[in-house]
Amino acid sequence: MKFLGLIVKNIGRNLIRSILTALGTMMLVFVVTLVWSILSFLNVALSEKNANFKAIITERWQIPSQMPYTYAATLSEGAATKPDDVRPMDSMTWQFYGGSIEKDRAKRGMSNVLFAFSLEPKKLMTMMDDLDSLQPPISTEFAKSVKALEENRQGIILGRTRLETLKKKVGDTFTIYSMNYKDIDLEVTVVGDFPEGRYNNSAAINRDYLLAAMDAYQIKNGKPHAMANKSLNLVWLKVPDSATLSKITAQIESSPLFSNPQVKCETASSGIAAFIEPYRDLIWGMRWLLAPAILVTLSLVISNSISISVRERRSELAVLKVLGFRPNQILTLVLGEALLIGALSGLASAVLTYGIVNFPPPYGFGGIKFPIAFFAAFQIPLAALWWGPALGAATAFVGSFVPAWGARSVKVSEVFSRVG
Amino acid sequence: MPAVSPVILALSISEFQRIPTSLLIASAIALAVVLILWAVCEVPLSYNVRNLTVRWKTTVMTALAFTLVLGLMTVMLAFVKGMQRLTENSGQPGNVIILSEGATDEGFSNLGFSDVGDLENQPGVTTVDGKRLCSRETYLVVNQPIEQATSGGPQRRFVQMRGVDDPEISGLVHGVTLLPNGRWFSSSGVQEVEGQSESAIEVVIGEGVARELSRGRSPEVLRTAKNPDRLEIGDTFNIANRNWLVVGVMKSSGSTFDSEVWGKRSVIGPKFGKSTYTSLVMRAADGPAALKLKDVFKKYEKASVNPLLETEYFESLSQINKQFEFGILFVTVFIAVGGVFGVMNTMFAAISQRTKDIGVLQLLGFGKLHIMISFLLESLVIALVGGLIGCALGSFADGLTATSVVGSGQGGGKTVVLKLTVDAVSLIYSILLALAMGFLGGFLPAFSAIRLKPLDALR
Repeated sequence: MKFLGLIVKNIGRNLIRSILTALGTMMLVFVVTLVWSILSFLNVALSEKNANFKAIITERWQIPSQMPYTYAATLSEGAATKPDDVRPMDSMTWQFYGGSIEKDRAKRGMSNVLFAFSLEPKKLMTMMDDLDSLQPPISTEFAKSVKALEENRQGIILGRTRLETLKKKVGDTFTIYSMNYKDIDLEVTVVGDFPEGRYNNSAAINRDYLLAAMDAYQIKNGKPHAMANKSLNLVWLKVPDSATLSKITAQIESSPLFSNPQVKCETASSGIAAFIEPYRDLIWGMRWLLAPAILVTLSLVISNSISISVRERRSELAVLKVLGFRPNQILTLVLGEALLIGALSGLASAVLTYGIVNFPPPYGFGGIKFPIAFFAAFQIPLAALWWGPALGAATAFVGSFVPAWGARSVKVSEVFSRVG
Repeated sequence: MPAVSPVILALSISEFQRIPTSLLIASAIALAVVLILWAVCEVPLSYNVRNLTVRWKTTVMTALAFTLVLGLMTVMLAFVKGMQRLTENSGQPGNVIILSEGATDEGFSNLGFSDVGDLENQPGVTTVDGKRLCSRETYLVVNQPIEQATSGGPQRRFVQMRGVDDPEISGLVHGVTLLPNGRWFSSSGVQEVEGQSESAIEVVIGEGVARELSRGRSPEVLRTAKNPDRLEIGDTFNIANRNWLVVGVMKSSGSTFDSEVWGKRSVIGPKFGKSTYTSLVMRAADGPAALKLKDVFKKYEKASVNPLLETEYFESLSQINKQFEFGILFVTVFIAVGGVFGVMNTMFAAISQRTKDIGVLQLLGFGKLHIMISFLLESLVIALVGGLIGCALGSFADGLTATSVVGSGQGGGKTVVLKLTVDAVSLIYSILLALAMGFLGGFLPAFSAIRLKPLDALR
């Protein structure tokens, strides 16, 4: 304990230097935490799960995937037609409906557009990533929104950032002028919002409403809508294990029902991997160039600071030796100063980063908005709270080891001969 | 000599003309400030240089931090610049692109056959040898399973295909030419291949996608491949259970077309169930004529269309690039601030070690301001040397290729292979940042130096 006290006292002796080192550490840990948060999110998205994972069915060859809605019912059952065929545990269909609340095309922009998942409302809580694992009280609150969407097919659930951007609130009614379903404009009422997090910019509408609007179009115009035969974009399946997925994939891909267009079934992670593939060089650069270079810079900053500190205190270190301090104790003393500064400033940086980045505007950034694939924003994971101190401590150790070793090797005779 | 080329470029007139006036003014001010500080400082610069060499370990470590920060910034800016040049080079000033109403991306556009026939007969389109320079196109993004996909890695990639009716006209409209020995695909768009029961679809491919498609080939294919690093004329690849035969490679133009596969529209469209055109690109005599042509289509009433200058269209695809640019700027600022704290540490230490020097300098008659400038210059020297080395190292990234996506940020987007570009503007930004870091990092310590009283300093 006395030793720790000595370390703390030493840190306080040159407060400016300690503060500057800590601030430098905080800045650099902040950047590394941002980079690692993105990489960590992508790693999780790309990692194959062993059980209860999701598969996606899309058009086999073309992007964006557009399938006839007539595929929906059979695909949702995993193309199971015979009694002994395998069926998924759960399923969900997605139709993408994009539009703007601004009627004038010339005035449309990011401040007035929204992209909604058109789906069966109850699937929001059983099939959507993260929303399927909500805990009370958030899940209770969100369940109310989902129920409202089920009861009011003209309802819409919006992400909080999107609500703010559109300057709307729960209860408001407005018209969405469609961008991809020409002449199918939907009047909607906001019945709830998504919990804070990855769906901050998302929207969900009741699929019955979109389907009814397309039927109405056909009745009014005497012909089906141009999107009628390609309005189904994705079908999600939940399966218990990879063996079941293989069987379902075989059922789907061998079914004559899905020949024009053909479809493919793959794990969600495999589907995401294809979208992330074009960014591979950018991700490589972040992983192997940006993050390491910052860590080396951080080590240099700390190393410089500790080197200066050791150089200034050579006489004092010699006195400590005379007083009976062993070389390894001096090594620990110097390393301890660096580690303490590094770990504490790393922790402070991680906590601030977590709060500032994850909090929604105006208090925070509402996630890291970096345009990789279709991810709207990346949140700082809770794990970052230990990354920060670990990063700070590790770089402090690397940066301070050589100067600390120099301090350990201080020769009393040399120092006092110079002093004399 | 990749590192030297941007430096030479920086000195070339064309590159000089690309530098924005505001940046030139900022550079001139920065240079003037440094020169004035140097000129007015009565303490010889050699004093500072000698001190830096005496404390060489600290100097080297501080300079190394600058090298890393500025090297990183140069590489990151090279990436952004590469994307920027790509979208700039893709649009021809005289071209007008017609999309269906509401579509902002070719991938989401649908133009009917009858509409296209009428649209291309509007006045204002240039002709060559009696042919109107109108390119009817169907743009598709398709999935290609990767033959040798690694476990846990992507199992497929996206390939951008452009089906055109008359490839020579489309080539003229987009300024695309073929490398020697290549040819455009035939009027049938397919060719019998010896030993194969089904004919192969003839295509010409961009140089970027030629490299991309060569990745993940099986060892058997690679053994007989003409070039292991990219597809060449005569090579085939498989998509949608058909063989695609490369009959030509498009000469790299630094545009998005380098990342595309072009084939006969009547073959490619039906193959993927796309029965409509996605876009019609027309060439007017020049930029002003293109504006007039665009206006013609704005008033066009027979079909709902969205006419855009091609340059406008590609400008709209630089939205993702702008977000990258903002991200890079954000990251650079924070790394730089971290670096500034490091420099401050070094300079505070330098001053605390040289309090006696400061006292002597004051007693010798050097004014406080001159002493302050002297320490400020010392900080600037470290920053400049470290920064220049960083820029030089970062310049090695010039010419490297990388994949990315350009898009409007509203869905869609194109996968592109771009060349990292280190240009004069990036280098100037990097040097200015180095000087700013040096100035900010050195100012407070230098200011603290002049607060010392001569006798206290000597005590």
